[in-house]
Amino acid sequence: MKPEILPPLSASLHVKPAGWRFGLRLWLPLFLLWLILLPLLLLALPLLFVGSLIFRFNLWRSLRAANGVLAATRGTQVEVNNRESRVFIKLHGKDMS
Amino acid sequence: MNDNRRQVLDMLAEGKINSAEAERLIAALERGAAPAPRDMGDVKYLRVLVDANDEAEGPTKVNVRVPMQLLRAGVRLAGVIHDRARDQVNEALRKEGIPFDINKLTPDNLGDLVEQLRDLTVDVDNERAKVRVFCE
Repeated sequence: MKPEILPPLSASLHVKPAGWRFGLRLWLPLFLLWLILLPLLLLALPLLFVGSLIFRFNLWRSLRAANGVLAATRGTQVEVNNRESRVFIKLHGKDMS
Repeated sequence: MNDNRRQVLDMLAEGKINSAEAERLIAALERGAAPAPRDMGDVKYLRVLVDANDEAEGPTKVNVRVPMQLLRAGVRLAGVIHDRARDQVNEALRKEGIPFDINKLTPDNLGDLVEQLRDLTVDVDNERAKVRVFCE
């Protein structure tokens, strides 16, 4: 599978509330979340297929586009720093970039 | 020195062209050798920086980095939208005074849009907040 079509495989979360001496640094294995969601998606596929026939949309294209949006979030960084806390989130791809 | 420039200088030395013509030719060569506009690959992220200072909550800094690929993926997702829904979106945009046709926004012409965004910097500066949006 091409790395550019993979969703973010992990995320880094740093939280440091004001007054805490040390912050919390978490590494979140998002690939486990995708592994859990994949069987659910497979179960939902027949329903989605029926829905695509009723509402006349291209199911394959829609799934590809949705996956594309998910995959494109790799590299996203959000940092919020205020008086009460400092929060940093980063979504990593395969190469942790 | 490249071959074209040497040729121009040789022609000048041989008296085939005068100095003004040589200057024009060299200028034309330099224009031709100017670096080609960068493609979307060069613009990787959209950066949004917010530096707010609220009286109640104190100073807040927000730094968001959004991959430009997300823009491309969003356009692909827009391609899945049903024609009737697209018309409704266009109509809503027209009502808001934005004459924009989302049917014309395709992954093929997105490169041009991103090329224009490359040099774009939006700076909003007021008493309470400073916002800066740029591509990098």
